[in-house]
Amino acid sequence: MKIVIAGAGAVGTHLARMLSNDRQDVVLMDGDENKLYRLSNELDIMALVREPTSIQGLKDAEVHRADLFIAVTPNESENLTCAMLAKQLGAKKTVARVDNYEYMKPENKEFFQRAGIESLIYPELLAAEDIKTSSRYSWVRQLWEFNGGELLLLSVKMHDAHPIYEKEISNKDNQLVGHTLKEIGMAHGHNFHVVAIKRDGETIGPHGDERILPRDLVFFMTTKENLAEIRHLTGKDDYPAVKNSLLIGGGKLSVRASWKLATIHDSVKIIEPDRKRTEELQALVAPKTMILEGEGYDVDLLNDEGYGSTEALIALTNNDQQNILACVAARRKGIRKTIAQVENLDYFDMANDLDIGTIINKKMIAASHIYRLLLKGDVDNVKMLAIGNADVAEFVVKAGSQVTKKKVMDLHFPYGVNIGGMSRDGHSMLVGGNTQLIAGDKVVVFCIDNTLKKLDKFFK
Amino acid sequence: MPNWRLIAKIMGFLLFIEAGLMMMCQAVCWMYDEGVKAFSPAILTAVVGGIAGLIFGKNTGKKMGRKDGYIVVSLVWVLFTLIGMLPFLSDGHVPDVASAFFETMSGFTSTGATIIDDLDIMPKGLLFWRSITQWIGGIGIVFFTIAILPAFGVGEVKLFAAESTGPLHDKVHPRISVAARWIGGVYVILTLLCIASLMLCGMPTFDAINYALCTTATGGYATHSDLISDLYHSPAIEYVLIFFMFVSGVNYTLIYYTILKGKMKKFFRDAELRAYLIIALGASFICALSLMVKNPLSDVEEAIRQSLFTVISLQTTTGFATVDYTLWPVQLMPVLLFVMFAGACSGSTSGGFKCVRLSIIYRVLKNEFTHILHPRAVTPVRMNGNIVPANVVQTLMGFVALFVCSLFLGAFILALSGVDPNDVHPNFDYYEAFGIAMSSISNVGPGMGYYGPAHSWAILSPIAKFVCSFLMLIGRLEIFPIMILFTRSFWRKG
Repeated sequence: MKIVIAGAGAVGTHLARMLSNDRQDVVLMDGDENKLYRLSNELDIMALVREPTSIQGLKDAEVHRADLFIAVTPNESENLTCAMLAKQLGAKKTVARVDNYEYMKPENKEFFQRAGIESLIYPELLAAEDIKTSSRYSWVRQLWEFNGGELLLLSVKMHDAHPIYEKEISNKDNQLVGHTLKEIGMAHGHNFHVVAIKRDGETIGPHGDERILPRDLVFFMTTKENLAEIRHLTGKDDYPAVKNSLLIGGGKLSVRASWKLATIHDSVKIIEPDRKRTEELQALVAPKTMILEGEGYDVDLLNDEGYGSTEALIALTNNDQQNILACVAARRKGIRKTIAQVENLDYFDMANDLDIGTIINKKMIAASHIYRLLLKGDVDNVKMLAIGNADVAEFVVKAGSQVTKKKVMDLHFPYGVNIGGMSRDGHSMLVGGNTQLIAGDKVVVFCIDNTLKKLDKFFK
Repeated sequence: MPNWRLIAKIMGFLLFIEAGLMMMCQAVCWMYDEGVKAFSPAILTAVVGGIAGLIFGKNTGKKMGRKDGYIVVSLVWVLFTLIGMLPFLSDGHVPDVASAFFETMSGFTSTGATIIDDLDIMPKGLLFWRSITQWIGGIGIVFFTIAILPAFGVGEVKLFAAESTGPLHDKVHPRISVAARWIGGVYVILTLLCIASLMLCGMPTFDAINYALCTTATGGYATHSDLISDLYHSPAIEYVLIFFMFVSGVNYTLIYYTILKGKMKKFFRDAELRAYLIIALGASFICALSLMVKNPLSDVEEAIRQSLFTVISLQTTTGFATVDYTLWPVQLMPVLLFVMFAGACSGSTSGGFKCVRLSIIYRVLKNEFTHILHPRAVTPVRMNGNIVPANVVQTLMGFVALFVCSLFLGAFILALSGVDPNDVHPNFDYYEAFGIAMSSISNVGPGMGYYGPAHSWAILSPIAKFVCSFLMLIGRLEIFPIMILFTRSFWRKG
């Protein structure tokens, strides 16, 4: 497939890297040759030094042959302009990244489609959504909702203590550690599935003989009703519910997050060092959000406003290191739920080792959203998990596709693929080996190690 | 540290390719009932080496570092030569290792200098192997592999960067493997057209195929020791060769855009092509004029044809000859040395310094003069309307320095190692040493003085042959990929 990406910023570069590794034909355009020079020697892509808004430049990139045009320059109006131009020049699908909540409203969708932009992407909004879902429960590392919150994918650390936070690792309450997946499946198979285990930086597919060890990060697929059971079995009953959250950094992401969090939390506070920005924030954030002027590493301020009275600390500054350290500090003070924005992909494993709860990466969120447009099957939703080298996709089963012909256990999916749950006629349920999928089912599939692409043919 | 397992695995793959190529030549032997068993040991070695590489490299990661790319590319050229020389040795027509190594390296680097005195007694299978080495080496061993394998899988970008020529790289397709296939397609089409044209002009089939392979590779291996004009007495053949040598010296990306995309304008506006044309036509004009002045009664057409053929043959670094140019007026020698040095276009099969670099240097100089008069002028270097990044210009200056140093050092060692004093040409003149060094580093073939098109280089001492082989290799890979291996920081950890 031919893909033209306009803008070699963080998102554009990440997409180019991901798609070229996926053996797609990628053309990356940017007006700044310094941004492209290093990339063109590193990635199997065509790097074009052309302004994305120039018609001749788009022609040089051969957008008329492009299956997908992705506009991800830092400038919103530039993105809209070049996506429209690309569509007029013959690009099949266009995606533009925007910065404006108004554009994302469903009633404006058709308007943009008429203008030639199929899909809009607002990474901050998507990230805010992720922050909201994962900050709901303090005992869950990360949580994704499917089918309107009926089906849940969650990751739970088997005992939530790291030597630097607590002296002793106790594990007496966790009833899963030490058991094989087969045993767990026998006892609780109807209520939840283990879809993957992350251990020592590696993601392990679910094998019956695999034993859950202390310090594993376990991914569960379950329905809403059975959430409490997982909480009980993993020994997290004494974890407090999240009602108050503290955001560090007053960027665009914090603004969007404040709106999302306002719907589920009692109080939301934002710490921002720049006075001018704090004034701007007053007008932007959700009502009742408290803006505090100060640095995210100001311990006095955090003691006064944060540690005692909050259950979740969310560090969203543009500085990865500061975010990670803020979370480490908060964990030492006993805050169970911490979320850090980490834009550098190389920090992921380190952040995971430090037991930063949830990692938010805008690049990856944006990339997985766009990736969905590339799959041929009817895919509603793709999430790439920051921790775990895994993808979760929501497929709609089509009549006549391969999956409808056999029972799940006879389909012989590639290794690392696990159908966790599905919804049929509005009801959500887990999928077992004996389940027969029928057209119209919406299934949630968990894939390790880039198996998503291989899976596509089963649903086509 | 380099990922040796991955390197071994890639080497394994590449050796299988070499084995396949040698099997083709073995088939040619059978076709002509030559019964030569020259290839069996070599094929066996390549296959065993290939299997060993694959076994050693089993279960290796797919991540290729920058260093690995340079090691692979440098190593593969040497390894291909080491195995490719076995047929010459086992057949017995080439007596010693130094000569066989030289002959094969001269083949793979598409140089065309030979140490075989009488080509007419060579078995056809071996002659074909010489042509094949040139044809593969012309486009690049790794490039060839990337083009024919459906998916090479690892580090194409890094390998490509290490093997491709010229300071600026243009891609015809986002993905290198597809781009390589297109460019390879252009190469194959050119070769087929050349074969057909030569046959139409009356060249026998076997000769036509071999000459065509060596023409499009701008290599210059012949199947006969006589000059082309003495063999066929056919101006048509010479014009065909002139045309195909010239076209093979053009950047293949440009040919692709011109032929397959119909962008004729782009063709003639290309700055490098203009430089190439100006040098080729200018030098030919000077040669033709000198020849006519020296010998006013000669045929004008013949003078022009000989000049064109010689200049284009030397500039595209092919090295075919219709006339012994070493007998030409002495003032033409600097001209011929210059076109040998200049070479044709980057991204073609030719060697040498490449016209694009001359073109950039010309622009840098022009800017320097502008700067002297207008000290505040902002003068970026532009090629075809695009600004050449400052680091490319800087790398280019480094290349000039390395090229000149290698040339002089090579000439010095060559003159030092000398020739066998009992041989037909016991003395080594300084200009002959210089000519051989220039011819080797530019991958041309014939040199100056005694080492012109009339004689083989057989009398060189073994040390001189290895020095020449080394110069050919660094010339073909444009010096940096080989030289980087000799730096201490390359092998330091981290």
